[in-house]
Amino acid sequence: MGKSAKLLALNIVLAVIATSLILPFVWMILTSLKTLDEVGLPSWLPATFKWSNYADVFRMKEILFSRWYLNSVFVASWVTFLQVFTSSLAAFSFSRLQWKGRDQVFLLYLATMMLPGLVMMIPNYRNMIALGLVDTYAGLILPAAFTAFGTFLMRQFMMNIPRALDEAANIDGASKWQLYWEVILPLSRPALVTLTIFSFMGNYQNMFWPLVMTKTPHRYTLPIGMLFFDSTQGQQTNYLMAAVSMSVIPMIIVFVFMQKQLVKGIMLGSVKG
Amino acid sequence: MRMNKKELKDILVGVSFLTPNICGFLAFTLIPLLISLYMAFTNWNLETHNMFKDNPVTFVGLENFRQLLSEKDFYKYLGNTLFFMMRIPIGIAGSLIAAILLSSNFRGGNKRIWLTSVATIMLIVGCGAMVLGGMGATAMTILICGLFGVVIVSGSLGGQTVYRTLFYFPHFTAGVATFILWKKLYSPDTGPINYALTPLLNTIAPGLAAIPHSGAVVTAAGMTLLIVGICLYGVYRNTALWRDGESGIISLLIGSVFLSLPLIYMAPWTPFQTLRHLAFVPPALAWVMVAVRLGKGRRHPSNPDEGLADAVIICGAVMAGCFILLGLSRVVYGLPEMAADGLEPPKWIADYHWAKPSLMIMGFWAAIGSNNMLLYLAGLSGVSQELYEAADIDGASGLQRFWHVTWPQLANITFFILIMGIIHGLQGGFEMARTMTEGGPFHATTTLSYYIYTEGFATGRLGYASAVSWALFALTLSITLFNWKFGNRYTND
Repeated sequence: MGKSAKLLALNIVLAVIATSLILPFVWMILTSLKTLDEVGLPSWLPATFKWSNYADVFRMKEILFSRWYLNSVFVASWVTFLQVFTSSLAAFSFSRLQWKGRDQVFLLYLATMMLPGLVMMIPNYRNMIALGLVDTYAGLILPAAFTAFGTFLMRQFMMNIPRALDEAANIDGASKWQLYWEVILPLSRPALVTLTIFSFMGNYQNMFWPLVMTKTPHRYTLPIGMLFFDSTQGQQTNYLMAAVSMSVIPMIIVFVFMQKQLVKGIMLGSVKG
Repeated sequence: MRMNKKELKDILVGVSFLTPNICGFLAFTLIPLLISLYMAFTNWNLETHNMFKDNPVTFVGLENFRQLLSEKDFYKYLGNTLFFMMRIPIGIAGSLIAAILLSSNFRGGNKRIWLTSVATIMLIVGCGAMVLGGMGATAMTILICGLFGVVIVSGSLGGQTVYRTLFYFPHFTAGVATFILWKKLYSPDTGPINYALTPLLNTIAPGLAAIPHSGAVVTAAGMTLLIVGICLYGVYRNTALWRDGESGIISLLIGSVFLSLPLIYMAPWTPFQTLRHLAFVPPALAWVMVAVRLGKGRRHPSNPDEGLADAVIICGAVMAGCFILLGLSRVVYGLPEMAADGLEPPKWIADYHWAKPSLMIMGFWAAIGSNNMLLYLAGLSGVSQELYEAADIDGASGLQRFWHVTWPQLANITFFILIMGIIHGLQGGFEMARTMTEGGPFHATTTLSYYIYTEGFATGRLGYASAVSWALFALTLSITLFNWKFGNRYTND
């Protein structure tokens, strides 16, 4: 009996915390289903669920929601692809090849993780102006495409792949590229998946760089679009919340399906330093 | 000679794999870094140096830094940034508690059906009680109770994963979208928080107004004394740890500085303004205590500084707690008077005094179930069961088990979390400020990163903004190096 009571108490505590943590999301979804007249009322529940709000967001004047969605996905996909590719190459060099000065160079890489992005932001912006890349997709993608964190994450994983494989490949006369492409990369799949989710999610939500880089609504990514929405037509809370829901829900879905990889990745990126 | 050739070839092969990354690193990190360093020493300002006014950019030496140090705003924003960092120990405590709760075994096992039915009954009883209690908003009560019921049933059936997922949502989705959501939640007139608070405050206002003024004064005084007591006890414990050789001199000093801060801060903030001249007494007492202990020397000299991370986190948590108490004591002091005219809920992010706490509450919402919780969960599963058994044999209480087994075993993770928290904290606050408050009201939520943004991209003082960003970098670097130097017992094992 004592144990059962303890179990129940523990469950209640956890459920209270969990419920209060997700209450804002519940309010968000319920508000997104209200009519504009109901928005200011105390009751959370709409009289009727107005699902058409979601479709209406796409038809709003000056709110290019579908465009922002696509921009975000487009930019995040490119950045993710480039990040995963370049950092897996670098990680391969740092973990599976022996060369003089390797560890020193790696330390330098780690050090750049500590640099505040803010320091580089202003000169990067000036450079983008000089190159004529402001308000272009290339300007959004390129500076974000290289990551020390990703290199670090991949290296941690590749270090744990047995050495014997390299020797076997060597005996078979494989080149270093073949070793990378045909042996190490396929074995690093879990880390690749993790890094893909991380960098996709991170760039999907990234705010600072798109904020300074985009000038016209056609180039906005979702976060910048949401800012624009909030500042120009934020009074239409029901539509705003529908837009917020639509930008949050994909992340929740990704998380629910990918959480095993994510949890592993978070461990990989930190404790086993 | 052949050996050298091979070495050279190895380097070539190794570096060729790095090439794409190195190109990006040069173009978007190293070169901008150098330009930024140059900018910090120039008077580059978009108002005077643009395509219409072709003034040459001149080298001004340390002028930007001199200006920075003499600018009052800079200290204000630095203070804001540091204030926001109090959420680090609070967040660490939150995630640790969440992780400990999650890692205990709460699955029903063969009692699943029993547990489910209990939960359901409780749900019905809860709904009934609240509806009968006349809360009015019946549909909402049922909604929230129903939600709670779903959560508890799925949690007790699904175990850790269900709760962990729910805990993690706020952190995972934190960004512009959720900040906009919170902006609406905090809306003073139509936000759900104030809709919920208003009837509650109206109900308690007459009761509070009936409290005699003396009662409020005594309570506020009690809270103030409690702060003094907690801080002085903290300093005393600190000296005791140093005396017994369990911590070093740096821990002693840092810990005491941390613990004195609420005491020093109290003078202008305490409700008892007539007695504010006495405010120097407690901090003076604390430092006398430290001085006396230092004079007496220690019983067991020990290795160089250990446990600095512990000291920083625990003292930080105490400090944060004391500041909350201080704020509460002010509220309590004025409460009966305020309640006489009817209580109004705070205006949250639109109010100068509430803006910072509002953002910190939101930060806490996102921080409980963060990556830190996942790290702690992994750490807890790694703590050997034998240690707990040994502690049980020694008859350790729950709290002793925590302080002597769990906490030291998690020290590694705590240290990592602390360092990352400090780095992010110093550079943080931009997104919240930009989305929710525009740095206001009256710059209450302007952090250094938001300052750099406004100077660099809105005002156009590129040179000055670069100087601020370098000052921020220097601060980050020195704190991190300090931590590595004195906290490294965890990382060298």
